[in-house]
Amino acid sequence: MLQVENIEKYYGNGTGVTKALRRISFRVEDGEFIAIMGASGSGKTTLLNCISTIDTISAGRICLDGIDVSALSSAELARFRREKLGFVFQDFNLLDTLTIEENIGLALSLTHTEPAAVQKQVQDVAQKLGIADILPKFPYQVSGGQKQRAACARAMVAGQSLLLADEPTGALDSKASKNLLEIMTQMNRAMHATILMVTHDAYSASYASRILFLKDGRLFNELIRGGRDRSVFYHEILDVLALTGGDISDVI
Amino acid sequence: MTLSKLSLRNAKRQTGDYLVYFVTVTITAALLYACNGLIFSPEILKLSTLMRSLPVTIVLASIVVVCIMGWLVQYTTGFMFTKRSREFGTYILIGLENRQVARLFFLENLIVGAFALLFGILLGNLVFQALRAILLALFGVPYTFVFTFSFRAVALTLFYFVLIYLSAQLRSRRRIRSMKIYDLIYFDRLNENAALAKSGRRKKIFSASIVFGVAGTLLLLTRSLPTGILGAACIIVFLYGFFLSFSSGVPAWFDRRPGRKYQGQTLLIFRTLSAKLNTMGIVMATIALLFTAVLISQGTGLVFGAIFESRQTAETCFDIFIGTETPEQDGSDLIAYIESSIPVTAAHSYSIYQGTDARITDYLNENTDYYPCYPYDTWMKFSDYAALRSMLGYPDVTLKPGEYLIHCVPWQKSAVTACAQPVTVDGATLQPGSIHTETLNQRLWNVNGTDFILILPDEAVLSRPVSHNLYAAMTKEPVSEEQYAALCRIRDDREPYSHITLYTAPQVQAEYASSTAMLVLPLYYLALVLIMTAATILTIQQLSETDRYRRQFLLLKKLGMDRQEMHRALRLQFTIYYAMPAIPPLFVSVPFLLSLCNATDPGVTEGFYRPLNIICITLALFFMIYAVYIVMAYRSLKRNVLP
Repeated sequence: MLQVENIEKYYGNGTGVTKALRRISFRVEDGEFIAIMGASGSGKTTLLNCISTIDTISAGRICLDGIDVSALSSAELARFRREKLGFVFQDFNLLDTLTIEENIGLALSLTHTEPAAVQKQVQDVAQKLGIADILPKFPYQVSGGQKQRAACARAMVAGQSLLLADEPTGALDSKASKNLLEIMTQMNRAMHATILMVTHDAYSASYASRILFLKDGRLFNELIRGGRDRSVFYHEILDVLALTGGDISDVI
Repeated sequence: MTLSKLSLRNAKRQTGDYLVYFVTVTITAALLYACNGLIFSPEILKLSTLMRSLPVTIVLASIVVVCIMGWLVQYTTGFMFTKRSREFGTYILIGLENRQVARLFFLENLIVGAFALLFGILLGNLVFQALRAILLALFGVPYTFVFTFSFRAVALTLFYFVLIYLSAQLRSRRRIRSMKIYDLIYFDRLNENAALAKSGRRKKIFSASIVFGVAGTLLLLTRSLPTGILGAACIIVFLYGFFLSFSSGVPAWFDRRPGRKYQGQTLLIFRTLSAKLNTMGIVMATIALLFTAVLISQGTGLVFGAIFESRQTAETCFDIFIGTETPEQDGSDLIAYIESSIPVTAAHSYSIYQGTDARITDYLNENTDYYPCYPYDTWMKFSDYAALRSMLGYPDVTLKPGEYLIHCVPWQKSAVTACAQPVTVDGATLQPGSIHTETLNQRLWNVNGTDFILILPDEAVLSRPVSHNLYAAMTKEPVSEEQYAALCRIRDDREPYSHITLYTAPQVQAEYASSTAMLVLPLYYLALVLIMTAATILTIQQLSETDRYRRQFLLLKKLGMDRQEMHRALRLQFTIYYAMPAIPPLFVSVPFLLSLCNATDPGVTEGFYRPLNIICITLALFFMIYAVYIVMAYRSLKRNVLP
């Protein structure tokens, strides 16, 4: 589904060039749940921004569903983003003037879905994510966990191929985080959503089926869960983090 | 860094952030100074003795301007306070005392006000020259640039500014001094309350406000003072009710039609606007009220300008004109004074005669907007008519045998043509001939017939009784104010209750020029300040949302909205936001102005095009000034908001 080939990303020019990403390559198959981990400044958010076409790459190629995103014009990119990609941000990024239902429906109205069908599609996805009862409410009237589930609903309501999540549990307490991660796992398993999640939190990453570790802009390691138990996988992640010098909070 | 340096730096930043506000205060200071300059200018006040009343109307208008500006300054200061309360809280947190922070904010606003006043006075000198040129042109005096600087005008402008700023600043100073750190830090997080939360109540208020709006507009059209006042009260109720209920009623409307809101950009636009209007209902209604006042002031100014111009044109064709009320009066004392003291190039004394019937008078009375001053049609000898035409330089006309001519005001030509019939006098029948419509002083009493006169062969008129006597003259030099005063004294001393009509062209011109200066000028002055104030508040509100809009469009970009769609959404939202408070005033002011046009002197706003012209000029002036603010806000927002 997603093919990242030798991508590089530089910032600055002349002597002040910073290499944020160095020759990174990997593939994501349909229905996979992948986590990208790394310490602060390792390039994980830059990688996500490049895949999500918010940022451009300096070299290499990114293909999604066979489309080379670096070859698209800005109008085509906009269309590509609304049709193929779904986003979940750390700070939810819901519009505070819209109700939860409207925030989810916004993604459909951007794809020019038939207005009469919007409400039904929103209801369906809200039902699956357990937020049907909060649809008429405004973001300030619901909890952080509910907001993040609404963001997940928005990210997949228009049938997007790839869900990109940037530290989705960063602003949630542990209970809400667990709840969200279970919802994401359910989306991955029951609804076959392909998820690419950036996180520095080992617990969140342990829900993924595969983890890519970044260090100084390079792909440093890869961990596949396979048939292992999640708690075993979690400890393995901590071991890798200890090795790569991940955030101290991750190993304490 | 000392407090004063911090104040200065903050004032500089404030001017940048609230440039629209600063520009409005500066232009208002310029207008205040320029108008004060007029009332302290001996040159302007000496234009005519009638101009002695000019200071009264200008000061009255300035008092209204001071109140409106006071509201603007208070509103903007309160707005700045809300936006900067966290900063003030931080100052106190790091050790400043409340009173020091209060003084800091006070000083900042004082500095901004002082600079606005300074620039305003500088700009005001130019505005003064423009107003001076307009007034001199009105009085027919040639304009020459003379730099004048009036300390008294500066002092009065300063006094107005102290009034404007002091109340607003003292209020915010008291507020800061009494607030705790916590309150200040979290003040900007307080949710503004929706004015009307309950849907049922909202619907009732919305329906009632529409009823009040229609009733108010109809009452304004009745042309009577008590019902007019009641109508104005209804309009105020309508505007407040409408904006308080409309802002929260729109989401309810969409809730019942969920499919509609997901069409195109509707969802984003209606939610952004309803969020804004939900908390701005009262402000929006006040702005709509100000806009209504602006349109009515501007339109009324234009209507009065048209009335004065029409009257002046009708009454100044002769340099001197005397008209008696009865056939016994002849104005010989006045004529004697003119012959001895005023050099005339041409003069003619003549009589107006009573016609044999009142057919045209009756027809006009029944079918047109006509005030019958005589119970008969008025007649004039052809020889007198020819002499008057020659005096005025009009082309010669001939009177064919067996015919009579008609001279009427232009707007009565079709009615007079429709009713002109053969006239029989001393057994001879005369057929209606040509109709002429040049200006011939035909307004109301003691003139060349009211709106029309029949011109008959001299011999046909001789047997008719005289209606009144007239004297018309053209002079070498314009008749001076002293000469006119001398003529008035002769008239009033000899025949105190004679009602002899006495016009001199310069006096009529001065009278209408003074009326224009005293009525039209303050109306425009008020209209300009009102529209600037209202547009400034709308713009400040809009620009204060820059950060939120930026975040919104950044998210929309991530979600895949392309730039063109974002442009469209921003433009549409902008258009609706600025159109909202301008549309209800149109429904009130346009019918009012049309009604006012109908209530003027006959002929002033006759027909379809003249009232349309007045409405179009009023709207064009209004939207031209409004557009300046809209374009300023749009450019700023587009630059800062779209990713």
